Amino acid sequence: MLSKLLRQLLYILVHLVVKILVAVQNVSRRLCSKNCNLSKEQVTKRDVLMLLENVPKMKNKLKHLVVLADSNVHTISELAQLVIWNLVVGVPYVSFYDVTGSLKKMEEELFYEIERNKKGIPGCIKWSNKPDLNGYTNGIQANTVFVNIISYSDGKPRIAQCIKLIAKGDLQCDRMSKEFTAQEFGEAFMKLNPAIPDPDLVIFTGPLCCTFGLLPWQIRLTEFIQVDVHHNININCYLGALYKYNKCDQRFGK
Amino acid sequence: MATWIKQNCISFFQLFCIKVIKNGRVPQHLAFIMDGNRRYAKKLSVNCSAGHVKGFDKLSETLKWCLDLGIPEVTVYAFSIENYKRSTSEVDALMDLARDKFKRFLDEIDQINEWGVKLHIAGRLSLLPSDLQVILSKAMLATKNNNKLRLNIAYSYTGRDEISRAASHIVDSVQNNDLSPDDIDEDLITQTLDLGAPELLVRTSGEVRLSDFMLWQVSNTVLYFSDVLWPEFTIWNLLGAIIHFQRHAPPLPEEKENSPVQQKFLKKLENKKWQELEKIISF
Repeated sequence: MLSKLLRQLLYILVHLVVKILVAVQNVSRRLCSKNCNLSKEQVTKRDVLMLLENVPKMKNKLKHLVVLADSNVHTISELAQLVIWNLVVGVPYVSFYDVTGSLKKMEEELFYEIERNKKGIPGCIKWSNKPDLNGYTNGIQANTVFVNIISYSDGKPRIAQCIKLIAKGDLQCDRMSKEFTAQEFGEAFMKLNPAIPDPDLVIFTGPLCCTFGLLPWQIRLTEFIQVDVHHNININCYLGALYKYNKCDQRFGK
Repeated sequence: MATWIKQNCISFFQLFCIKVIKNGRVPQHLAFIMDGNRRYAKKLSVNCSAGHVKGFDKLSETLKWCLDLGIPEVTVYAFSIENYKRSTSEVDALMDLARDKFKRFLDEIDQINEWGVKLHIAGRLSLLPSDLQVILSKAMLATKNNNKLRLNIAYSYTGRDEISRAASHIVDSVQNNDLSPDDIDEDLITQTLDLGAPELLVRTSGEVRLSDFMLWQVSNTVLYFSDVLWPEFTIWNLLGAIIHFQRHAPPLPEEKENSPVQQKFLKKLENKKWQELEKIISF
């Protein structure tokens, strides 16, 4: 009885100590990089120069970056700036995973915010599902970014849909042996998906790393990198994530 | 000596710490990507297979910790379908290691049954050498009725392959009129897969990707990436992961009831799987 009480007390104590240690670590980290935590309203010239300076050091070219976007903690302005940074760096596909389900409703707002931030920066921003909203290029040899909002229904429900179509005989899926191989099923499944490369990198904020149901089929080799322990998205944290990504080499099971 | 669950690897103090941590929420299903055996071997300049042997020893220690923590289900990623691309000598060494360990598993079956370990090998068994298939099937059948610790070993496995195999079972059942296309939904697929959803997934050695492991199942899982190499993983690393889980775990999603048709299909599929294992050992 007494020992059980003691254990419970120690349990609370352990968690309290961890909480304090994490808090102290966060404060010290914040003091070390004082200026990087100020979220700005707009992409500045200094940001662009800073990105351009760092781009040549990145050897692994990112093709598709996914942001776990939580509309409760991220502002539209932060997400819009992320798109512009990626435009400067030259990441061709940027997707937002709609964790809470409310980003989709703010798509138009996000579009205008991106256009507002883009002023004076060469390049072209295209919306994967809205060809009529497509921006235009100004400048030669500029980058293009395809922006896309991914939701839960693009993941498991679409795989279920695919199996349903195969079962009904409405979708062709070859089978050489008793069971489909990943390649055979994958070929059929790709017909239901837009031609976008699999994500190379998922970035998230906050202490919890979770996929929240993001594209189960497509994330097999995706790296998950935390941008900030709090929910800030700023240019230093973004560059930090890119550097982290560049250190990893892929081994493909070998 | 017990090969699979190492005894006497916990000090009194460690056991006390386990009991303290157990006061909070403990994951009911814990998954490991046991990465870093080869880097560990390189670090000590021994050959790869020595690293894998060390990795297995660590697994048996980890299983003991999980039993003491009261975790009822543990899943480990032991061998990926992609790993067949490694050098023949390394693949052969890994297969020999599996043969050896699972033979011992069968030798120690009385003790294993006493602990109540239920073994499940998840993966495309048909790619494995036939003698190993027989051993694995025997081990699974021998522990079929145990229920204290469910040990899933992903062997010759990838998450995409698992989804594809589940798709084949569902499509076949529609063709046999056991299911109608309208019965197919996300939850049915979830239950047709080899593995259930883990609450916590630990990957060692600093890599931050899933490498085709439990792709479908991790939607609500806390992913925990640790920098230590698997053979150097300690009980403190495990307790650290569990404290992280206790601090940040999302609430459990609600479970949905199956329709009678779906229930019947799942029952039939389960029976079919056991029958196939019986068939393998009878050859």
